[in-house]
Amino acid sequence: MEQSFTLTSDLKNNCLVIATSGYVNNVGGEAIAIEFAHHFEKGTKHIVINLAKSKVVNSIGMSFLIEIVEQLEEVGGKLVFTDLDPAVEKMLAIMGLFKFAGKEPTVGDALKSFAAGK
Amino acid sequence: MKEPMKLKIALPKIPDIELVALEGLDRLARYMGIGEEKIGEARILVTEAIINALEHSGEKNPVVRVEFSMTKKELVVLVRDYGKGFEPGSIEEPDIKKKVGSKNKRGWGLKVMKSMSDDFQIESGKRGTKITIKKLLS
Repeated sequence: MEQSFTLTSDLKNNCLVIATSGYVNNVGGEAIAIEFAHHFEKGTKHIVINLAKSKVVNSIGMSFLIEIVEQLEEVGGKLVFTDLDPAVEKMLAIMGLFKFAGKEPTVGDALKSFAAGK
Repeated sequence: MKEPMKLKIALPKIPDIELVALEGLDRLARYMGIGEEKIGEARILVTEAIINALEHSGEKNPVVRVEFSMTKKELVVLVRDYGKGFEPGSIEEPDIKKKVGSKNKRGWGLKVMKSMSDDFQIESGKRGTKITIKKLLS
């Protein structure tokens, strides 16, 4: 069972790519929001969150991501999720996050969609 | 195997204690030969039920009791706290369009459990709250 939360981030073509590992609880969700905020302040408006290594999440952790879509909405930016476990994808759908965020199979697909202006 | 496999756990409120229940769930599933793809939604249901109970019981030192009953066809999860209880009908269903722009982004647990489970029952009173979740596995 995966446990400790970690994240890595990388800027690719002005797009922030955050990859998580482990349980996305309140601590993990807040860590994602803080990492996003650092880059958002510098003008980054496109973000990819790769959840390939996070098979367990909770709704408190995911609620931090609503803050991210809220801030991106204000500047015409966008969040795209990738590599979603089917159960996590269903949870995000139940919460309605895909009304404000996109989803792609892989980070490469997400970067292509940003490059294509989708 | 016709008889359900059962597991009972009592969880104190310490960070990420729900992962202990998930470990038990995963071990039961592997023993029963239930695939990874079947158990993903069950993990989320169990997680939500436990964190909901620990957060809202209102007790100073809450303990949540979790019972799993698993066959190859279905999982029944019972999560019980002994707190102050609440009126389930008084909880407003969250709406993402209202959450965006509001201070309170939380409050999704009941909606997730109702939507993701195959049956969801909640009983609450002055002696605590009991949530019963059924999830089909085949």
